[in-house]
Amino acid sequence: MTWWDALVRAGAVPAAYVPPASLGRTDADDGAEPGADLVEGETVQVHPVTPDESSPQPACFLDGIEQWKVVGYDGVLPIVRAYVAAAVRRRGNDRRLRTAFEGARDFAIAPLAAMAPERRRALTEHCPDVVDLSLEEATQPGRMLELARRAVDSARQAMERDLAERCLARLGEAEWLVVDGLLSVSGKLAGHPRAVGVIKSHGAQFFSGLDLTRALTVPAAHRTSVFRARGGHARNEVYSWYLRLWPWEGNDLLYGLLRIEARAAAATVAAASATSGWLLAERAPLATPDVRWDRLLYPMHDVETYLRTRAPRDLLSSRTSRLPRTGT
Amino acid sequence: MIARPDPPPIAIGRVVATELKPSTPHQFHFWTANETTIGIGAIVKVAEGERVVFGVVTDGFAYSDLATPLHDVIGAEGDPARAAAAPTVRQEIRYWTAAVLRQIPEEPLQPVPLGQVFVANDTDVAQALRMDAYLHSAAPTAIPIGLYSSGGLEAPVYLDADFLLGPEAAHLNISGVSGLATKTSAVEFLLASVFRHFPPHKGKVAAVCFNVKGPDLCFLDQPGDLSDEDRRRYELLDVPAKPFERVLYYAPLKADGVNLNTLRTHPDLVDNVTPLTWGLQEVVDFAEVLLNRDDIDAKADAFIDFLRDRVLGRSFDDGFGNAHNVTTFTDLERLFRGIFDGLETSGRSDSWRTHHIATMRKVRNRLLNISTRCKGLVTDDGPPSDLPWGAFEDRAVYVIDVANVDPLGQDLVFARSVSKLREYLERRDLGVDAVVVFVDELNKYAPGDGPETYVKKMLLDISERGRYLGLVLFSAEQFRSQVHRRVVGNAGTQVFGRMDMDELATPGYQVLSPATKIKLATLPVGELMVRHPHFTQPIFVRFPKPPVLRGRDGMERFPAAIDLPFDDAVARQLLQLDRRIRPNQVKDLIADRTEEDVRRALAAVRQKRPEDVLAFFRKALGGRVAPDAPRERRAVPPLNPISDEPY
Repeated sequence: MTWWDALVRAGAVPAAYVPPASLGRTDADDGAEPGADLVEGETVQVHPVTPDESSPQPACFLDGIEQWKVVGYDGVLPIVRAYVAAAVRRRGNDRRLRTAFEGARDFAIAPLAAMAPERRRALTEHCPDVVDLSLEEATQPGRMLELARRAVDSARQAMERDLAERCLARLGEAEWLVVDGLLSVSGKLAGHPRAVGVIKSHGAQFFSGLDLTRALTVPAAHRTSVFRARGGHARNEVYSWYLRLWPWEGNDLLYGLLRIEARAAAATVAAASATSGWLLAERAPLATPDVRWDRLLYPMHDVETYLRTRAPRDLLSSRTSRLPRTGT
Repeated sequence: MIARPDPPPIAIGRVVATELKPSTPHQFHFWTANETTIGIGAIVKVAEGERVVFGVVTDGFAYSDLATPLHDVIGAEGDPARAAAAPTVRQEIRYWTAAVLRQIPEEPLQPVPLGQVFVANDTDVAQALRMDAYLHSAAPTAIPIGLYSSGGLEAPVYLDADFLLGPEAAHLNISGVSGLATKTSAVEFLLASVFRHFPPHKGKVAAVCFNVKGPDLCFLDQPGDLSDEDRRRYELLDVPAKPFERVLYYAPLKADGVNLNTLRTHPDLVDNVTPLTWGLQEVVDFAEVLLNRDDIDAKADAFIDFLRDRVLGRSFDDGFGNAHNVTTFTDLERLFRGIFDGLETSGRSDSWRTHHIATMRKVRNRLLNISTRCKGLVTDDGPPSDLPWGAFEDRAVYVIDVANVDPLGQDLVFARSVSKLREYLERRDLGVDAVVVFVDELNKYAPGDGPETYVKKMLLDISERGRYLGLVLFSAEQFRSQVHRRVVGNAGTQVFGRMDMDELATPGYQVLSPATKIKLATLPVGELMVRHPHFTQPIFVRFPKPPVLRGRDGMERFPAAIDLPFDDAVARQLLQLDRRIRPNQVKDLIADRTEEDVRRALAAVRQKRPEDVLAFFRKALGGRVAPDAPRERRAVPPLNPISDEPY
């Protein structure tokens, strides 16, 4: 018997609600007051990048996924089942990706203190991994879902950070680790000379005025000047720059636009064009059919595909209409 | 079966099923690593709980996660060279389709479970092909046909003698493009295998092979060059890697009546070539073979029957005061001349004993023409020289070389040999219990269309009734689709070498998957696809090079002797019978003698095989008689205009 079955037996109302935000991770740099200090030139400049097809071999790619859904209600309190997973896939000299590290966690998120005793007991007895949500009184169910999302995000980031640090400990001398997302969330990552973060979403804007215009209209196969990122999620100092993979004209301003994070060091500035060169070469093969293919590097797509194939089949399988059944 | 420990099972794949491509009781799909040892034709095993399913791979697919080819173009910016240089290789799949060979337990028959896939080992192959029933029974009937090989594993594949040589089913048909020596080699190997493994409880077996082209079967008693790999395969299959021990060659004579009409005339080999010569008695029963449908109407047929029943081999009065004992074509000519002269001189009507003179003339011309058209095979020179009917030896191969005989003579040889085989096997006094008859070029001798020839009838007869008698047809052709359906349809075992793509496009091959067809079209020499009643799907096997000298190699090592002058040829033939004879003695004996007399004496010696060959030959020649001056013959005008025919 699953823990959610036990919960329903204990009187919870069964549910099967997949909130829109649960289908994937969010990379929105929604921290407060982002800013930038240029470390390459006085103003944001645009530098051409030549694709360098001699990408580092071997190289490791880290990505993670998260999935969650409401499986029951104790009164109006949503009980969430969540699954997070992350993996490092290593690309060897044969250019094929193989899993080097991986982790997964299937757990429940519930406001234990607010639950009826019998439901709480049923949950804690049958589910070995419960994340407790601390709620103030009269918290609305919608707000609880947002808290659940943050808990899932947090669990995924922790797992990614853990894998990244394990991977760095075993990284070869010429080997690179490419992380899907922020490098600055980990001190070890942020300080490693052969770790780069690739950020696809651009919720945080580090520039304004003409610098912003130059940064966001950088042409295809060009990069911006390197800057020190401030604010946002950045808890550790990193250098960053924008890199455009595909022409945005005729599409969208952010089409094909990546933000790269690397160690805050002079060597990073010196190597920015070279690093951009091999990242630009990672455009091929295309990461289709993912809709984010213009910004999603194929190895990251591969890691995500790998993780999704290993995710529980029953978590997000209900994609049918939620209209009541007619009975015939 | 050769006892070898089975290696531990190796999981090489996993069964996958989707709604669009589900597992069924007869088919399943599985994936493997990109680098895998299996391929089309590999036998695999699915094990899930108590259920074990054996399958043979019939199709394979490879694809990547590329959504559309255009995405590859975009990713490489239109430059194919850059596509190859992409830093990451796309995820790929090797996806295979397999046809179920056998399920254990067989009932209830269920879809193939979604379990792990293993490479089949020796034991698995035996079970998958249901060979265990005849390999391990109290009276095993297994006959190796080759080695199934896949992924470094090699397992002998056996045919069931009850289904290859009768009585359950019988006959083997082999198709394949010409020029690769696969068909002939396969039959040679299989004959060696049959001779080694023919079950003792089934008695004795022999083979009659018709050599219809070149020197193909002319060196079955000579060792060929075998590689170590071939010898290893022979060892695995438990078949001796040596040529046939008892091979007897039969070939008609050439038109001169003394030189053999075969390519096996090298002095070192010609000893065991026996002339194949038939006289009137041997031929008349098969007159239908030599006379076409226009010749044989009811009247002619009735007259031939009359000759056969009332005249041949017995004393006969022609009604004009002449007594005849017709045993040769010369006697027959004398009989006809007597009848025609009698009718003319007596002024009687144009019929004799109810037979119209026109019919008689027609039959006379056709029959007497046989010895002209088949000169060397059909002779008027003494006793016949024939196969040892009633004294066939166990494990002996009788090769009848008709490669250089004209088509009419080939038809006669086929028809008479097969008829005699059937006749003796029906009486159970051939000397052996089963005979394998090997006929190549079925496209010529049993075409699907074309006239109903006597040879085609004979082949049909063997195909349909032979298995009850122990008369088994091993046949070969290039284009199976163009052979008579009942001949190939009755073959219980069907073997395919490399096939022509046009042939594979014909309806008879629709049951094969495209991948199997491609494999067939590119099959290397020494590999075959086998269908057998016990195998629910075709199986690919390798067989070793036959242990005999190939025709072309044989011709280089043992080139055919040049035709000798008449006296030298006669001397050589006598010398073969008795090494003490000196050629000059023979030449002196036959000087001034007619060739007919010499041939007749020679035939008598061949038949008798006396202790003192020269003395017998001298006696058979008889005393010298001064030739009579030729008598003048008066031309006699015909009684009536009888026919428009130009004779």
